[in-house]
Amino acid sequence: MVLNERMIDTCTHWVQDADLSVLSQTMAQCCKNIKETVQLLASRHKDIHGSVSKVGKAIDRNFDAEVSAVVAETVWDSPERQKYLSETIVEHLYRQGMLSVAEDLCQESGVVIDMSMKQPFLELNRILEALRMQDLRPALEWAVTNRQRLLDLNSTLEFKLHRLYFISLLNGGITNQLEALQYARHFQPFASQHQRDIQILMGSLVYLRHGIENSPYRSLLETNQWADICNSFTRDACALLGLSVESPLSVSFASGCMALPVLMNIKQVIEQRQCSGVWTHKDELPIEIDLGKKCWYHSVFACPILRQQTSESNPPMKLICGHVISRDALNKLTNAGKLKCPYCPMEQNPSDAKQIFF
Amino acid sequence: MAVQETAAQLSMALKVQEYPTLKVPYETLNKRFRAAQKNIDRETSHVTMVVAELEKTLSSFPVVDSVVSLLDGVVEKLSALKRKAAESIQAEDESAKLCKRRIEHLKEHSSDQPAGVNVWKKKRMDRMMVEHLLRCGYYNTAVKLARQSGIEDLVNIEMFLTAKEVEESLERQETATCLAWCHDNKSRLRKMKVMSHTLRIRLNCHSTSYIKIFKLMLKHIFIVEMRTIMNHVSHRHARKHFSQAEGGQLDEVRQVMGMLAFPSDTHISPYKDLLDPARWKMLIQQFRYDNYRLHQLGNNSVFTITLQAGLSAIKTPQCYKEDSTSINPDCPVCSKSLNKLAQPLPMAHCANSRLVCKISGEVMNENNPPMMLPNGYVYGYNSLLSIRQDDKVICPRTKEVFNFSQAEKVYIM
Repeated sequence: MVLNERMIDTCTHWVQDADLSVLSQTMAQCCKNIKETVQLLASRHKDIHGSVSKVGKAIDRNFDAEVSAVVAETVWDSPERQKYLSETIVEHLYRQGMLSVAEDLCQESGVVIDMSMKQPFLELNRILEALRMQDLRPALEWAVTNRQRLLDLNSTLEFKLHRLYFISLLNGGITNQLEALQYARHFQPFASQHQRDIQILMGSLVYLRHGIENSPYRSLLETNQWADICNSFTRDACALLGLSVESPLSVSFASGCMALPVLMNIKQVIEQRQCSGVWTHKDELPIEIDLGKKCWYHSVFACPILRQQTSESNPPMKLICGHVISRDALNKLTNAGKLKCPYCPMEQNPSDAKQIFF
Repeated sequence: MAVQETAAQLSMALKVQEYPTLKVPYETLNKRFRAAQKNIDRETSHVTMVVAELEKTLSSFPVVDSVVSLLDGVVEKLSALKRKAAESIQAEDESAKLCKRRIEHLKEHSSDQPAGVNVWKKKRMDRMMVEHLLRCGYYNTAVKLARQSGIEDLVNIEMFLTAKEVEESLERQETATCLAWCHDNKSRLRKMKVMSHTLRIRLNCHSTSYIKIFKLMLKHIFIVEMRTIMNHVSHRHARKHFSQAEGGQLDEVRQVMGMLAFPSDTHISPYKDLLDPARWKMLIQQFRYDNYRLHQLGNNSVFTITLQAGLSAIKTPQCYKEDSTSINPDCPVCSKSLNKLAQPLPMAHCANSRLVCKISGEVMNENNPPMMLPNGYVYGYNSLLSIRQDDKVICPRTKEVFNFSQAEKVYIM
């Protein structure tokens, strides 16, 4: 196209003093070229249409457009519930250390968070930030302040922090030898519980001159110890504060990512087989979702006879032989005042069964 | 991490969660492609036309001056074509690149390194949260979170900010921005049929020009002249804007026209309803609904739906017991706000028993058999060993003291 423009410009200049018929022919040729080129441009662009629409079709084919059918859509529509949701998100943001985002959300949503609730997270994040920069002092201060409670929890955090500080001194080489030796005094209160560890640490001083990385003690210099100390600290601090280690919102969301495909699947199966009556339990999901053992936060007893979860109105009962069934099952199996255990020959009086609590 | 997702499970989650992530930029790409094609076709036909004229002139006794002026015309049209084509194609290219970036990001869910996968999972949650916050109208928070998380490209911020402008103008009772939005998206809205025209007509009802004309007329002019003038004005406006009304919508149009006969503070309904400020709120809702449908989004954020499914999968009756002995601080559903949110949701379905010791959280099975104390409370054998002192144990929940030997084994099938 540029070429054509230039050609035309040149032609325009020549018009003044050249053979008109030759020019006419040249220009006619230009015109033909122009027409061809622009038609080519238009048709080439049009050809892209196929690819573009293929993208759209691929998206429609490989992703589910409608997911809301597996939940009750309007159940959280009230302003009150929206507020709880915003509260949850604010707490989550504080946990993650995203303080200014949390403040913005409080402002925009009108949620008010008590300072007493914020405070623990602010402090946790401050200490974690320092730990990530390999600065152990805030953590040590905290551990010393909470020494008794940590000991009650059987936590070894304070020792671990001292140990890591000692190791960081070792990293500095022979010049730190005196400082390391002096710091070793901090190990004294832990002498009985961590004797072996202390022996190893002190032993490594021998190799300080020649470099510990070449000695049998090189494992002391492993870098993942820093990530580990962050995890240890988070775990112990949360246990002390009665908080869960992970943000409840993160866990719930991750659990949802696992649950959604399963629910979508069962919904499709139900629709295909046209037995929509199956998902009637509005109080219970239609299918079990395996989240892994780490998500077993509460005991669940499913009565093997009636294949149902026990509840407060239908609690688990222990028979004399030690087998456990639900109360409804017990009533069903009682015949003329006598109850025979479904698993063993033991017979008993139904009233001898005892309610148990998991 | 409490919930461990395998790569296969992550893929399955992609399928149900990421439709909006890809569809919205795709629709923009499609729109820009069509606009580009239209521009190119239009400019190409202009060029072809002037070139044809030039050819005609050349073939029949060309005069130098006319040829020169025609050539100038051709150059002008060619420049216009070049400029417009370049602009349109660049816009298309941007859209295509955005689609590509998002697809590349989604592919990272199957990275080999666990650290990479964890980063991807965190970004996933942040992405869904940002879209949820945008839907709620918390724009500052959403934008800041997107920036801090490095996901600005991956969330549909522009779409929501455009919608925000329209909604804010509607709150100020101005219709111009919304009408412009309707015009901008008219081809897709037309495909969605019904709603779009209703929206436009309702908007036109509220056009302040009507109200102003009213008030003026009523104050200064006699009835006869008023009628004539109003007929004149209303016909023109009506012809211009209501000509595309169809079928059932004509009834609404008639209602609106009838409104012309009444003063603006009329007490007669349905005319009163038509002028009620609450109609503006309804308009905003209507716009929001239409905007979601236009982009093929549902009424709830993917975040909300995921969270509901997730809470249900964790929820057990023990999270809602009257006494608080069953609360587990690690259980998300037992935490304060989530507990209230999860209340109306269905519970998890458990076909098989799974028992955890209240003291240690350890699973109770043949390796750690469940033991019942005389008060009916059950704990794991290992935990009882660990709390045993002088052959006695204290039940953590009732504080009663028993002999270790009084614990009886229970058998769970």
